[in-house]
Amino acid sequence: MRNIIKLNKRFMTALVRGSAITLLFVSSVTHASEFWTPALMEKHKGGTLQLVARSAAGTIDPQINYTSEFWQIYQFVYDGLVAFKKGPGNAGSELVPDLAVALPMAKSSGKTYVFKLRKGIKFSNGQPVTVSDVVASFQRIFKVSSPTSGTFYNNIVGADKCLKTPATCTLAGGVVADATAGTITFHLTQPDSEFFDKLALPHAAILPASTPDKDAGTTPIPGTGPYMIANYNPNTEMKIVRNPYFKQWSVDAQPIGYVDAMVYHFGLTDEAEVTEVENGQADWMFDQPPTDRLGEIGTRYAKQVHVSPLEAIWYAPMNTRLAPFNNVKARQALSYAINRKAVVNLFGGPRLGEPSCQILPPGFPGYEPYCPYTKNPGATWSAPNMAKAKQLVQESGTAGEKVTLIVEDTAVSRAIGTYLQSVLNELGYQASVKAISPNIEFTYIQNTKNKVQISLTQWYQDYPAASDFLNVLFSCDAFHPGSDSSVNISGFCDPKIDVQMQHAMKVAITDLATANKLWAKIDKQVTEQAPAAILFNPKHIDFVSSRVGNYMYSSQRHWVMSQAWVK
Amino acid sequence: MLGIVLGRLGHMFFVMLGISIIVFLIFFATPGSDPAARIAGRNASPETLIAVRTSFGLDKPLPVQYAILMKKLFVTRDLTSFVNRGQEVIPEVLQAAPVTLSLVTGAAVIWMVLGVGIGLLSAATRGSVLDRVLMALGLIGISMPVYWVGEILNLLSQSRLHDTVLFSWVPALGYHSFASNPLTWFQGLVIPWVTLAVMYIGLYGRVLRANLIEAMQEDYIRTARAKGLSETRILLHHALRTSLITLVTLFGLDFGALVGGAAVLTEVVFGLPGIGKLTYDALQNLDLPVIMATVIYGSFFVVMANAAVDLLYVVLDPRVRRDD
Repeated sequence: MRNIIKLNKRFMTALVRGSAITLLFVSSVTHASEFWTPALMEKHKGGTLQLVARSAAGTIDPQINYTSEFWQIYQFVYDGLVAFKKGPGNAGSELVPDLAVALPMAKSSGKTYVFKLRKGIKFSNGQPVTVSDVVASFQRIFKVSSPTSGTFYNNIVGADKCLKTPATCTLAGGVVADATAGTITFHLTQPDSEFFDKLALPHAAILPASTPDKDAGTTPIPGTGPYMIANYNPNTEMKIVRNPYFKQWSVDAQPIGYVDAMVYHFGLTDEAEVTEVENGQADWMFDQPPTDRLGEIGTRYAKQVHVSPLEAIWYAPMNTRLAPFNNVKARQALSYAINRKAVVNLFGGPRLGEPSCQILPPGFPGYEPYCPYTKNPGATWSAPNMAKAKQLVQESGTAGEKVTLIVEDTAVSRAIGTYLQSVLNELGYQASVKAISPNIEFTYIQNTKNKVQISLTQWYQDYPAASDFLNVLFSCDAFHPGSDSSVNISGFCDPKIDVQMQHAMKVAITDLATANKLWAKIDKQVTEQAPAAILFNPKHIDFVSSRVGNYMYSSQRHWVMSQAWVK
Repeated sequence: MLGIVLGRLGHMFFVMLGISIIVFLIFFATPGSDPAARIAGRNASPETLIAVRTSFGLDKPLPVQYAILMKKLFVTRDLTSFVNRGQEVIPEVLQAAPVTLSLVTGAAVIWMVLGVGIGLLSAATRGSVLDRVLMALGLIGISMPVYWVGEILNLLSQSRLHDTVLFSWVPALGYHSFASNPLTWFQGLVIPWVTLAVMYIGLYGRVLRANLIEAMQEDYIRTARAKGLSETRILLHHALRTSLITLVTLFGLDFGALVGGAAVLTEVVFGLPGIGKLTYDALQNLDLPVIMATVIYGSFFVVMANAAVDLLYVVLDPRVRRDD
């Protein structure tokens, strides 16, 4: 997933910031139960959270919206059969049963799953949740052409027909309900080790069967979480209130929220957002604070700042099908030459980013520290190796070629772009930088018709599985020439690595540990082929007002607002 | 008179048609602007992309797409945004219009009153220290970019001096609707009004002063003087009336353009969800339906304001009436 946080932050020297910022790290509490107890609830219930963001994130249809901005809201508005635990840090990546009674064991070698639905759960309109709602919800994923219908849910039996003719989608034989037993059976065309992860995403939210088969747009759809969206206007605000029919069934999956309501205001600049939080007019800002305000919030409001690791990469995909980067030595040369420390400083300093040169982010399944593109190759990046880089360019015979780098038209991206341009020039290329609107850059660089040689972009996890980086970004299947939706931007396709990826996904069904070892190997192999220069893993900043308590950061959906209190 | 009105309407129609075609073509000529992939969402499969392309009519030839867009905008009035899917564009514009009108009308009152006041005072005290000071202040007002003034006022009223007596009355940024609380509406708009008015006060003051001084040399003023009228009366009743013509022309153009969305920088700085902000956001997101709706709305206001100015000429200047 690409995060929609737009980092158009002003550039400031890292030295100044490095010394000025005394940002706090998230607390080391590891149990969800320490954030929610009946006693705490009694004490802190009530009040309204005021949230602000520069802009809204489009439709509020949970099966269509694909932005971290609203997924953060959906975590306490909608439920799937399965959920990521509402727990701090990495506990937030654990899968727990949500609307289903338990996580079922796989049958028929990983191709069949039987879920039993909990009884007594109601939607926010008062209707009970039934197995037919579950079936209808899965049909709806296809009927509304959900963004991931063809990539995440395409191995449910009958999905191929649904993708071809969405309007008549039945998923017959794929999702089967048994009303008397209260079960829903999923049949897959092939085993899928990430099936539960995909069921825990908002696109697989269980909605009333009566929900229209079109994008709900700005009309809220009833959900089952402790809160519901009361109304939404993308130009002004979203009002979130308690779901009157909510009864807590699992603290791990969906605890009751502390505040009575939340108001999400849209339309302020980043600067104004920071000021509002400082003034206590707002309790939290969605956008990352501009870098020129970090010093001030880090010193004067240090207690209100939370910095947390993000499972994400900033990277420069190189087109493996266009000169000069169709030559592996040219790609490796750039990877050797980049001073990742300098790039991190341009992003906001060492507190906000960690240099990296491998694809998987730290702590991710399959992650084993690995960096070949550094002075002393080993586990971590230490310094650029310019001599090696220049030698590789010589060997590749690509010196002197023209290279155009495409970046987003934001302060940070432009600054990093200019730095990369200088590196390319030093390597002997004739480099230029083209900055285009952040809203179209990602689709622009994906399309082969635009003949993009190299670009700068980011990738944020959808769910904790190595394939969400390696398979999604670098598999042959993810390359669609001529399409604006070809997420394998480098056009990298190595049949041998592809076979290994398929194998790892199969192994993961029965043996996750072994599979993750395989992914670690694949990570190394792809990194060695250098289809992209990995730059760093960014960190996430939450700046909250002084009245916000019980801050919980989950690796999956970031700040869990339902667990915060203002009283 | 009917002829003039019909002529004006025809004029307006052609301006709007021309603008809409140009905007539409520029949109599709922009690389990467094809909305299908953005509508379909990241990581969409080719099948999903095709389904979305068809459902939004993006697979049809451009002239057909243009016609459909116009039909949805004017006939069925159910044009929806590409970005905030499901949001109908016309209600969006209608909701933004009162915000812009509140901002621009308030600012217009300030700049007209102060602009005319300064112009009159300067002209009456021509050559004096007061005249020089006023004109210098006017020039400073014109020279300060509106977004800078806005940000500085924000910095003072929302941040540095927010907790002092001076600015503790200023509510949070954003629009506070008149219906829910007229006082907060007023308090929230005072600073944006001043910000937007600053430049125009200087401009109008300087223009009016020059016009008044020129008018005071005219024959009809000499006649008035010969009749024994007081200087104040001559200035206010004779010179000001004809000098206002230039001001009315300027006002018509400025007011029309601002209501049409030209107050964008002020709206962005103060987080006011008006027409300018709507257009700005739509351009940022390349949201074609909203861009089309706002530029057509904007051009409508510019043409309307021009027509109103022409009619005001007739009221203000007897010579125009004679020419007719």
